[in-house]
Amino acid sequence: MNRGLLLKSVREVWPATLLFGLALLAVEGLLNYVFPTFYDDFFEPALRMQFIQNLARGLLGTEALREIGPKTLSSVAWVHPLVLAIVWAHEITLCTRLPAGEVDRGTIDLLLGLPVSRWQLYLCESSVWLATGLVLTAAGVAGSLIGGLAIRPELRHEPGRLLVVILNFYCLYLAVGGLSWLVSAASDRRGRAVGVVFAVLLGSFLLNVLDQFWRPARAVSFLSVLHYYQPMAVLRDAAWPARDMLVLLSAGLLLWLAGGLLFSRRNICTV
Amino acid sequence: MSVIVAENLSKRYGRRMGIEELDLSVPEGTLFGFLGPNGSGKTTTIRILLGFLRAGGGSARILGRDCWRDSHRIKRDVGYLPGDLRLYSWMNGHGALRIFGGVRGLDLAAAGRELAERFGLDLTVRARSMSRGMRQKLGLILALVHEPKLLILDEPTSSLDPLMQELLNEHLRSLARRGHTVFFSSHTLSEVEHLCDRVAILREGRLVADESLEVLRRRAGREVIIRWKAEPATPPPSPPPFLRVRQQQDRQWRCALAGPIAELLAWLAPLPVDDVVIGRPDLESLFRSYYSRQAGAGA
Repeated sequence: MNRGLLLKSVREVWPATLLFGLALLAVEGLLNYVFPTFYDDFFEPALRMQFIQNLARGLLGTEALREIGPKTLSSVAWVHPLVLAIVWAHEITLCTRLPAGEVDRGTIDLLLGLPVSRWQLYLCESSVWLATGLVLTAAGVAGSLIGGLAIRPELRHEPGRLLVVILNFYCLYLAVGGLSWLVSAASDRRGRAVGVVFAVLLGSFLLNVLDQFWRPARAVSFLSVLHYYQPMAVLRDAAWPARDMLVLLSAGLLLWLAGGLLFSRRNICTV
Repeated sequence: MSVIVAENLSKRYGRRMGIEELDLSVPEGTLFGFLGPNGSGKTTTIRILLGFLRAGGGSARILGRDCWRDSHRIKRDVGYLPGDLRLYSWMNGHGALRIFGGVRGLDLAAAGRELAERFGLDLTVRARSMSRGMRQKLGLILALVHEPKLLILDEPTSSLDPLMQELLNEHLRSLARRGHTVFFSSHTLSEVEHLCDRVAILREGRLVADESLEVLRRRAGREVIIRWKAEPATPPPSPPPFLRVRQQQDRQWRCALAGPIAELLAWLAPLPVDDVVIGRPDLESLFRSYYSRQAGAGA
């Protein structure tokens, strides 16, 4: 790993990573406290409403809402749109820095004028992406644990199950990142790359929600990245979503490799 | 030995031609001027040489290595200043030297400080607070600091004041004396004329000249002003083939000399000449003629 490149990347991403990490910690802490604490007074009555049921089914990816209790409801904290928005916003911003961002701001000439191959650049930036993913995940876990301190012990999740959710969450992070790298590698404009990835993820999210109450969506729901991320099943049933994680990992790896190949072979124009 | 060798180099952008069948050879230790009007293909050539663009045809080699495949290895020995330099806004001079040094595996701090002192740049100022000239100086320092065998400078004097330009020229001359090669791209003849010892001229993606300045100077005409004596009141003689009279006013001729000065002096010797002014070689006109000739007409 090239020390100078790493220094530059870390210098550029740490403020945003810190900010997003703190935001995730706060949101996770709050959601992990709010869902079990106010289950009886607010969420249980709300879940009797059809619209809320549909929304919850979409988010949690399960039909069995009747089996939800205060403990399992807190799994929403790992699929809540706000949580996903924080993680994905940071991830998309980070993964579209190279080459789209560098070409867009014209600094790619400076980078490519250095004695490093494009693959070296790509690997260096990717390692920063993987590391910041760990930081964000750790922030989420920390928030979850802190929020859990304020609730009754019997409502807290078992560490083993939480670990599986975290692994699934990180696999999701890799898949979304892989897509962002590929789109970035094909683009000269960062705004365009961010827009494309955002549109795909929004479509993916909506498809996952529609899947629960619109039959045609069910046939193509396997295309949604969230189809392979269902923390409730893990937390409630102690399921081990090996197949889902494998799909996310494979998709992430393939997309990331395709991005690397494209970047290493494409022409770089800034004018 | 040639540091840069390009053979039949071509690049198209869709229907638009970037460069076409470009042959170029830059000998070691040369101050090589790469001239051409805007859009003539200078930057495309440089981007192919640096491995940013893949050539559509032909080959380009720097220090014997292929510019596309071995691009990153080549750049160990290359310093590059982009034409449209953009720096990271958060970066100051010290930080830039630390990062570039880290990438190159060298400690560039001392050499960078020395250059900054020479060019009058404060290394503590962040790029976002720098003027264009200051950013250009930092870009030059980053290109020069590791003393590369080959320097590729794309219009380096833009936004530099004349004093700084002279300072840079001095520095480049001293590098060339020590065997370094400078590839200096510009669309302004005057700066290349004062610095370079060899010039290639590009027009519409094609090379129209690649010669030493010495040869070009010889080829370029000179302006000559001849004033004939009033006495004896004889009509001025008819001009020889190497002298083209552009303007005739009273007893004064304004002419273009297309041959050696000695021939002119020999022709003038027996004639009633009152005064003769022989100008410097008019490279500007020569270059303008290269720039404006129809495509396909070689030099």
